[in-house]
Amino acid sequence: MKSKLTLRDFSLLLSLLAIGGFFAIAAPQFLSARNLSMLAVELAITATLALGMLLVILPGHIDLSVGSGVGLMGGIACVLIINHGWPAWAALAASIVVALVLWMAMGALIVRQRIPAFIITLGGLLVFKGVFWLVIRSHTIPVVPGGSTNLYSLLTTYYFPPLASGVLVTLVFAGLLVLNLRARRRRASLGFAVDDREVAFLKLFVTAQGLLLFVLTVNQFRGIPLPVVILGVIAMVMQIITRHTPFGRHLYAIGGNEEAAFVSGVPVQRTVIGAFTLLGGIVGITGLMQTAYAGATTTTVGDSMELDAIAACVIGGTSLRGGRGTVLGVIFGALIMASLLNGMTLLSVAPEMKFIVRGVVLTLAVWMDVKLAKR
Amino acid sequence: MPAVLEARSITKRFPGVTALRDVSFDLQPGEIHALCGENGAGKSTLIKLLSGLHPHGSYEGELFLGGAPAEFHSVADAQQAGLAVIYQELALVNELTVGENLFLGCEPRRGLLIDWDLLWRESGALLARVGLDVAPDTPVSELGVGSQQLVEIAKALGKNARVLILDEPTAALAEHEVEILLNLLRDLRRRGIACIYISHKLDEVFAVADRITVLRDGATITTLPTPQTSRADVIRAMVGREITELFPRHASHPGDVLFAVENLSASATRGGSARLHEISFNVRAGEVLGIGGLMGAGRTELLMHLFGAFGQRLAGNVQLCGRPFDPVTPVDALAAGLALVSEDRKRYGLVLAESIGFNLSLSSITRLRRGALIDEEREAHANQGLFGSLRVKAPSLETVVGTLSGGNQQKVVLGKALMTEPCVVFLDEPTRGIDVGAKIEVYTLVNALTAQGKAVVLVSSELPELMGMSDRILMLHDGRVGGEFARGNFTQEALMHAAMGQYEMTNA
Repeated sequence: MKSKLTLRDFSLLLSLLAIGGFFAIAAPQFLSARNLSMLAVELAITATLALGMLLVILPGHIDLSVGSGVGLMGGIACVLIINHGWPAWAALAASIVVALVLWMAMGALIVRQRIPAFIITLGGLLVFKGVFWLVIRSHTIPVVPGGSTNLYSLLTTYYFPPLASGVLVTLVFAGLLVLNLRARRRRASLGFAVDDREVAFLKLFVTAQGLLLFVLTVNQFRGIPLPVVILGVIAMVMQIITRHTPFGRHLYAIGGNEEAAFVSGVPVQRTVIGAFTLLGGIVGITGLMQTAYAGATTTTVGDSMELDAIAACVIGGTSLRGGRGTVLGVIFGALIMASLLNGMTLLSVAPEMKFIVRGVVLTLAVWMDVKLAKR
Repeated sequence: MPAVLEARSITKRFPGVTALRDVSFDLQPGEIHALCGENGAGKSTLIKLLSGLHPHGSYEGELFLGGAPAEFHSVADAQQAGLAVIYQELALVNELTVGENLFLGCEPRRGLLIDWDLLWRESGALLARVGLDVAPDTPVSELGVGSQQLVEIAKALGKNARVLILDEPTAALAEHEVEILLNLLRDLRRRGIACIYISHKLDEVFAVADRITVLRDGATITTLPTPQTSRADVIRAMVGREITELFPRHASHPGDVLFAVENLSASATRGGSARLHEISFNVRAGEVLGIGGLMGAGRTELLMHLFGAFGQRLAGNVQLCGRPFDPVTPVDALAAGLALVSEDRKRYGLVLAESIGFNLSLSSITRLRRGALIDEEREAHANQGLFGSLRVKAPSLETVVGTLSGGNQQKVVLGKALMTEPCVVFLDEPTRGIDVGAKIEVYTLVNALTAQGKAVVLVSSELPELMGMSDRILMLHDGRVGGEFARGNFTQEALMHAAMGQYEMTNA
């Protein structure tokens, strides 16, 4: 049996091209190196959070509190650095540890007390928002004292120089190529279906083209932004977790049929708590990146980011009932959301319209998914 | 006088099975007519047909109401005609009051609003008719199961039901509640309301029914007037089947006791009342212990409890391979060498949207590791081994399980259990809903397991299967051991007596 490319595989790519094409015509500066570099940073932030969200959606849960969490974690680090004089690295680490603990506690409440994740995290949304404002006393606090730089501010202002960027991308592609060929050989030796030679080549070719185009573009500005590398590392870790560990297998099993998973000896509670804890770590990282990108913590940092993260998952083919979803799909979903927001900002679209467009796109994506899945 | 309700020559086919074959049945005015039969004899199908759940045209044969032909195209049609079914699973909304439930969907109105005065008044009258002394504004959740059942009957009376169909109405009732229910039925009979009464409990059937119809394998075997009938007649009619199928059970040479249960009592929930009472049994290496019993006897609950997936232990000792065993979750049970194949493979057995390979290795994946990662080569080899030896008919290991036939799905569930390399295997209805060829393969597998010195506990609703495959049989009745039989003493009558709680333990 040979696998074929389906319309579903292409639909995300086509939508992305359509969105990109539209903005390229409507706002020519959309394709400028500077803007695309910004877009890459915004994508990295949205996609990182969405990948964390994937971990809890796979076993059929949800997290509405990540937006407030992003604000809170960024805020804690700022307060520790500016008000308490902590070194940046310690402040960043403290934020991530706090996030891990909070999310582990929420996960434990959800599975041990059997309170729906929707409710616990809705509570989290409100509580974290309130705590966030208390922590920063509703002020605006910069990530670094006046004009200098620190580890925190560098999170979104550091760029790998063009030469290093080129080497990095080449290494990434070489790695992908080797992994791909090895996986292909192994699958073939086990008698599993593999892509046609042409299809496999086409996929690699498109990947290579994409990477090349990306590095050439960002090198015209300042090189690869650090957040993109952070996203790359997190995506790789997520791919390994979801596809190559028993933990990941269990996430899919719980989402696919929780009762069957339980009777099959899947440690359901431990797995779900683990998923929430990992999400906590990612909320911490995202919070630091988002606050660094804004330059300072203010009461609005992180607002409605939970919705973008969930939307990115769903647009990328993740089922909210659990059991279905992939890392690559989520990244594409995040790219669509980030492109839309970035393009609309360039066009100076009113905030009202931004909300409406995002809502319509999300609805359309799910509707299309339902339609295509039926065939 | 014409029959209130008559079914003539009804045949109902499902894909692959004929559930009812030329069944005829009549209900006279003011009669209580009991329906008896083993699990799968066709009682439920007949009820679904009478209640409009299987609409007119989906079966052959005719229905008559008071002598006139009747066609039920929907449940509403049957209700309109005065038929009301009261299922084992009650259909009340717990959060609403008794009165609201009685008039759910047909609330009396004054203009656009509910006429509450009328609703409460009428509710009170209906409750009085069934002799239930509670206020109409009591929330249903505050009533016991027995009272809830009376509310259901009152609801049916409120819709002017002339025929009540009760499906295992006493399964969840305490003894005094049963008495209240039976008295109510006798009372309603005097007022001309006829009743079809389905029960496994022969004592009740004989206490209340005027006539008894026995179904077996989808056919009406006989209709007997109660006064001229004995319990033994009914049981004989229920089990009269010859054992014709081939069961390839080999003679066994049981070894050491691998699994022992002593005086086990357990409840469904923490602090609930006992569902399993003082159950004792053991299984030896190389032995098949059959567990039988009628629906609701507690067979599945027993297995699921011992596997750590159901209920709360109240008392008793369990030993697995000589060590005390009290699993909190199935994780513990599997680690200790116990595997379970559930009766409901779609609900408890499979992740239907995933592949065969995913499902096969699901219980063993934590052991198929190299460091933190899954050793994909070892997993694939383990999967392929079982895929081949169980002869799962599918294009490849990556085929989605949901697309397979029942027999092949069952093989995947079996394979998942076997991959954990258990020493004791629980099989709960392993041949339910699969074709004959696949059944034989399951039997062969059971033989192979015992030949390897594993102990097998086999739960089955089919007596011939139980008798053909077991070395010993334990019959459960109402959460208790109803009788235990050695291979030489298997007769269908004796087993059925034990299942109905009619078996004198002194005979054992």
